This record gives sequence, C-alpha cells and structure tokens, in this order.
Amino acid sequence: MLRIAKWEPNDMFRTISIVAFLVTVGGMALNCIISPCKECWRHPVRKLVQLFTLLLIEQKLSPVGVLRKLVYLLALLCFIVLAVTGFYPTLVLGEHISGYLVMVHATFAPIFAICLAVLAVMWARHCRLARGDWPWFQRAVQRVTLVKSADDEARCESSGLGQKIAFWLIIFLALPLALSIVLSMYPLFGTHWQELLLAIHRYTALVFALAAIVHTYLLIRTRTK
Amino acid sequence: MILTGFLCSLVLCFSAAAAETEQKLLGDESDGSRAHPIHLIPLSAEPSEEGAEPIKIDPDIDPEEEVLLPFSTRRTCGDCHSYGLIKKGWHFSSVDPNAQAGRPGQPWIYVDARTGTQIPLSYRPWPGTFRPEQFGLSDRQFTKIFGRQTPGGGAGETEDPDEPMRQYVSGKLEINCLSCHNGDPRQDQGGPTGYAVQISRGNFRWAAAASSGLASVKGSADDMDEMYDPFDPFAVETAQSGKTKPPTITYHQNVFDHEKNVFFNILREVPSHRCYFCHSNLYLGQQESEKWSADEDIHLKAGLSCVDCHRNGIDHNITRGYAGEEKTSSNELAATSSCQGCHLGESSSSDPVAGRLGAPVPEHRGLPPVHFERLTCTACHSGPWPAAEPHVSKTSMAHRLGTPNVNKAREMLPHIASPVFARQSDGKIAPHKLVWPAFWGVLKDEQIEPIALATVTKIIGELLSSENFPFSGDWPDLTADHIVKGLTSLASDNSVEGKPVYVSAGKVYGLDDAGELLRDNAHSAAEPYLWPIGHDVRPAAQSLGVRYCTDCHATDAPFFFGDVTIDSPIAAARGVKKMIEFQDLGRFFTWVFAFSFVFRPWMKIIVLASCAVLAVVLLLYALKALSCVVKVLAARD
Repeated sequence: MLRIAKWEPNDMFRTISIVAFLVTVGGMALNCIISPCKECWRHPVRKLVQLFTLLLIEQKLSPVGVLRKLVYLLALLCFIVLAVTGFYPTLVLGEHISGYLVMVHATFAPIFAICLAVLAVMWARHCRLARGDWPWFQRAVQRVTLVKSADDEARCESSGLGQKIAFWLIIFLALPLALSIVLSMYPLFGTHWQELLLAIHRYTALVFALAAIVHTYLLIRTRTK
Repeated sequence: MILTGFLCSLVLCFSAAAAETEQKLLGDESDGSRAHPIHLIPLSAEPSEEGAEPIKIDPDIDPEEEVLLPFSTRRTCGDCHSYGLIKKGWHFSSVDPNAQAGRPGQPWIYVDARTGTQIPLSYRPWPGTFRPEQFGLSDRQFTKIFGRQTPGGGAGETEDPDEPMRQYVSGKLEINCLSCHNGDPRQDQGGPTGYAVQISRGNFRWAAAASSGLASVKGSADDMDEMYDPFDPFAVETAQSGKTKPPTITYHQNVFDHEKNVFFNILREVPSHRCYFCHSNLYLGQQESEKWSADEDIHLKAGLSCVDCHRNGIDHNITRGYAGEEKTSSNELAATSSCQGCHLGESSSSDPVAGRLGAPVPEHRGLPPVHFERLTCTACHSGPWPAAEPHVSKTSMAHRLGTPNVNKAREMLPHIASPVFARQSDGKIAPHKLVWPAFWGVLKDEQIEPIALATVTKIIGELLSSENFPFSGDWPDLTADHIVKGLTSLASDNSVEGKPVYVSAGKVYGLDDAGELLRDNAHSAAEPYLWPIGHDVRPAAQSLGVRYCTDCHATDAPFFFGDVTIDSPIAAARGVKKMIEFQDLGRFFTWVFAFSFVFRPWMKIIVLASCAVLAVVLLLYALKALSCVVKVLAARD
C-alpha cells in the first residue's frame, strides 16, 4: 500500500463518533431520569407547546434580543445541516463527504461561522464564569490561597455552569474547526499536513457537535423550567 | 511391464526437457559488472529445415554453391541468451493466450478511408479491440502491416497454416534484438531500405540484418512465387535474372574479422531514441504544429532514459509503469516503477525508498487528499495541457511515424484525440487517447463482428471508388445513402453471414425490413476505444491545479467540459461529446460545483474574519479571567 493511497474512511473515527454520540444521548437521558422535570410528566402537551414557542420571537424582546435570537436560531439550523451533511456520509455510509452534501456543507459553513462570531460577541458577557457558578471550586481556592471572597465583586447573572462551559467550548472549538478546513484550501500544507488538518477537522467537529447538543439540551432544560 | 517402462521413459523425458528449459545460457545472468559488454561473435543463419543445425555465415562463400543468408537473431544471439525466455517478454508475448494483458494499451489501428474503416486491433484481450483474425487478417498479413513498429517476434513468428509456402519464402519475423539494443548509429528502423520497408516487402527473414547497419538487402520476397526457394542457389540465381528481384543480402566490407566474427555494439540499457521509433507521440493543438514546438517528457530532460523506469531482466518482462501493475506482472520492480513508486516509495517498506533516481518527493501543497483517490498522477501531470478540444494526436504505431512516405497532414487517419479525461477500470480519472471505431460488421446474437477486410475492400471499396477522397488522408464525406447502399450490397453478398451493420460515431447503423436506415445508439462495439497515457510528463510547475482550483473546477474547464469530437466518415454523424460524459459524473452537479468556486475566495474571507472575531472574544475573556486570578492572588499580599 502506498502512502498516497492511505487516505481512506477512518473506521476508528466512525467507532469513536458513534460511541460518543450514544454516550452523550445516554447521559442526557440519565439526567432526565435522575433530575426529572415533573411538569413534563404532568402536562406533556403544554411542555411541548412551550418547547415549540422557544423557537418563536417574543414580543417583549428588544431589537438586540430579537437579533440574538434570530442569530441563534439560524446557527442552530446551520448546525443541524452541517452535522447531518458532515456525519451522515462518514457514520452511516462509511465514506467521505462528497457530491451535493459537500456543496451544502460548504454553503452553510460560512453562515455558521458568522453566526458563531455574532453569538460570541452577544453571549460572551452573559456566559462568563462567575463565582456563584462554582461554589465548590471557590471554597477549594480559598483553602489553597487562604483568601476570602471579596464582597465588592459584582456577581454575574448565572445561566448554569454546564451551559456556560458548553458555550465557551463551542467558541473555543470553532477556531480549529474552521481554521483546519480553511487553511487546507491555501497552498500552505502538503499532503501529510492536509491529512492531519482533515483529521483535526473531523475530531474537532465531533467534540463541537457534542458540546452543541449538550448546550442546546441544557438551554431547553433551563428555559422550560 | 511395458507400461511401466513407457511411464518411466516419459518421466525421464519430461525431466530432461525441464532441465533443458531451466538451463541458463552464458548471457542469461549478469555477473554484476556494469561495464559495457563486448559482443564479437560469429553470425548464424536459420536453416531451411526445422530442427537442422544453424548455418554459420561466411561472406566468402561461392554464390553458385551456397546462398549468402541473413543472420538470424534467434541463432546468433540465442547462442548465449535464452530466446525462449525472451519471447515471453511484454513486447513479444501478445499472441500468447496465457500472457497477462494488464491495463488496456495502445491498439493497432487499421485504417482505410476508402472503405470507411478505422478499427482498433489487438491480440491482447483488451475490451473494445478486435483480434486481427476477427477482421480477417492472418498473422502474416498483420505482421506485414504492423510489424514495422514492432521489435519482431509475436505474430511474426507464429506458424502460418494457410500459407506455409509463402511463409517459407519470406521467413519468420524473429525477435530483432538489435531494434532496441544496437548501439550502432547505422541501425535503420525506418530508412528507405530499413526494417519497416523490409517487412512491408515481406522480407521477414532479412529484416533484422538489413536494418543492422552490417548489410544491405535488395529485392522483395513478396514478388517471388510461392514455390521460390530462398535456400537454393540456382533458384536465387534464376530469380535474379527476372524482372522482379528476390531478396538478397550483401554484407558490408570489413564487417567480418579474420576469424569471421562480427562486432556488435550492444547496449544493455536501451537508448531512448530506440524506444521513440515505436513510441513517439505528436500532439497537434492550436499552438503546436510540429515536434520542435513541444517539450519532451520532463524525465528525459532531467537526464533519465526510458529504461530507467521501464526495466526488465532477461525475461524481457518490462514494467509498464502504471499503478497496480504488480497485480498482474511478475516483474519485481512493478510496484516501485510507477509514479508513486519512485516519487513516494512504498509505505510498507522498512527502508526509505522515496526519491529513487533523484525523484523529488511531491508536497502537493493545498491539494485536498481526495484528489489522490479519484485521479491518477497522470491526470494532472501527463500529456499536453488540456484545451477546449483535445489535441489531434499522432503516434508512431498508428501513423507509422519515422517510416518512408508518411502522410504528414494533420487530418491523416487514424483520428486520435487526447487528452480525454476518462474514468478507468480502477475508478480513477486518467488522461486517455481516444479513437472512434468505424467498420462494417455483422450483427449476430446481439454481438457485432467485423466483416473480413478482403470482403469489405471488394464490396465497399468498389462502391465508394467514385467518391472524392481528400489528399490529406482524411475521411470522405459519406452520407446515409452511402451507408444504405453499402449495407444493401453486403446483405446481398453470400460471404456475409448475419445482418450487416456499419459502426461509426458511437452508433450502429443497420437496415430494417423495409430497407430504411436504423440507428442504435447503445451498443458496446460502437463505443470509443480509450487507452490511458503516461507520457509526456510535464514539470510540476505545469501540472493541473498549479495556478488555482479553477484549472479544473471552472464552468468551462476543459478537464470536465472540453469538447471531444465524435469522429466519423459520415458527415452528418460528426459532433461533440463533453469530456464529463467519459467520467461517470453528473454534468449539472459538476457544473454547480465548479460554479461554487467563484465564491470560494469569499467563503475563505468570511470564515477567516469570523475566526478573527472569535479569537478576539476568546482572548478578551481569557485576559479577564487572568485578571481575576491576578486579583485573587494579589489580594493575599
């Protein structure tokens, strides 16, 4: 087998991806069981309607809020399209992305990148980590540093630690995810590095997708409470 | 008892035969010296009778007693090199049914504008070609037409059951070792009395000697009666006095030394110009008009010769040099003699093997690896740069380049187009040469067999004799009426069994019961024959994609959307076919995909700008986090 012909559908990636998706979905199911939403069991229809209304734009929102929601919904749509077009051929068909799928993938990718940039700007402050998000960590730090919390430090509005971590993970992973594929389009890297960049894109996309799923799940949980 | 004795003797005979086969001759195995070999040897001729001792050639014989014969390579060279082993080599094994056919290669193309014929022939079972006997050509006839650009052997050496006497007169066309290995600049393959001309005269026995530069040959075996005996001095003398002359040989003075030995300047490594006699290509594009205006293969310009890559041992099982050849070839270098073999090496090898012969290891910067799955190396690197229409291509084998009285017109048949980017059997797209078959045949059980050449020449030749045939050697402009008349004439001829058809322009023309012309667009026999090209390799700086992706991924890029001319003697059937139709790709998809490259720079800018924003946000909040940490730690002090 020659080196040039080595680039073939990565069975290991396929296995890892399937396991990772199953574990994530399983984790979310477990979370639902351990910490059940009582309202969901009592009024499932009402909750479904509420879930659906999350996609709508509330009238009380300011123009910036409307923009933020629209961008988020657009990003969500792009994410779904990108995930389906990216993972379907690899995980289901066992082949590389090609044909119309690659064109759809490449069309939605820049839109998604813009959405992420806008969301990063609009949500970053909202999602910054605050002391209240992790009291256990704060206590640990106090023990190590012997420093007590300063009362003058304003507390940020908390939106859940998991959600925040997922957000920052998404923003952080978006960089290697996008750069790995864009840089491969420039005559900078040879075949070996091209293969590495593609591998980075694949694995980053996997972690990114998992983070996005978790973030969306936590967001829904928070909003439907 | 008798049976046991018979079996024992049979076993002994087989053992002896096996031992004889395996016995190595003096020159079968090299001792490892790379020095120039000296061949000062006696000449031997083929005897008149099979199995007799070879005849030692003495230039001083009495012509009234003996006939001065041409030397036989089989007897002269075969004294030290196993002729039977060499015969199995790629250049000589086409007629061997057990020989591996490998990847489809260049066929022999029989052309005759006067009968509207352009048919690819091959002894190898390459799909799309016909065996010469299917076309009514005996091995001898085939050799007379195409032997000019072979190194002998193959069909030239088979027994001719139909014309044994004629074969006795002309002899067999033995493997001509000197065609390739003669270092003598007088080696004459294509001169006025050289190898090609001798073969066309039927002087098979004399061809090697006539072209060697050691002797000159006059006369023609074809002009002799079938009863002529070239070994009988009286017959030769009698024939000499006739109007037509028999083939006779005269060895040049000083060829023989005092011991009647002859010096051959034998080259172990065949010089490229010898290969060129049969393997020259001329690509006539919009710019290039002649050989001098086109560059040679980059490997030759870099100082390599053909045999640096196309190697063989004494078995002459030469590597053809394509990827995957090792599956069918027993040549130990088959896997490493392809483009990848030299430039990349084998990844499974424990030693570093990339960069053989100074081959640069390619980086392919910016080229998505998927291209290596879908394209051969040659797709981007070989043949002329693709144009809106493939180049008119001439090859030595098809257009007998380098032989006397070649019609140099651009339109000369056969019409070969290249490069045509088509999908090959391994699923990869590769540049090909293409020829559209055109021939008269019969339809039997959904199969089309060509009608014998003699029948076609007689019936169709007469029918079209009054037409105007261009001096350039191009097709005449035939009409549907000509085809109807031709098919009607063939149908009325008793020698044609089955329903006559005419194959041309990718279609099969036949007559219905009412005598109207019918056209079938989907018969495999009508499909164009394509064979992949390896040369001439362009330098990396001239490879496809070197400027930008749009070298191929543009809505008008010749790679996908070039116009391949549909060639035919029927004027109304000529047209064009898009290159993409040979690639099993969706035309709309490919067009849309190519169109998307218009927006590719925008996409890059948008994504990079988005990344910059993301990076700034991350940096900003990372600094804020750092600020918090610093504050916490500073508060302790």
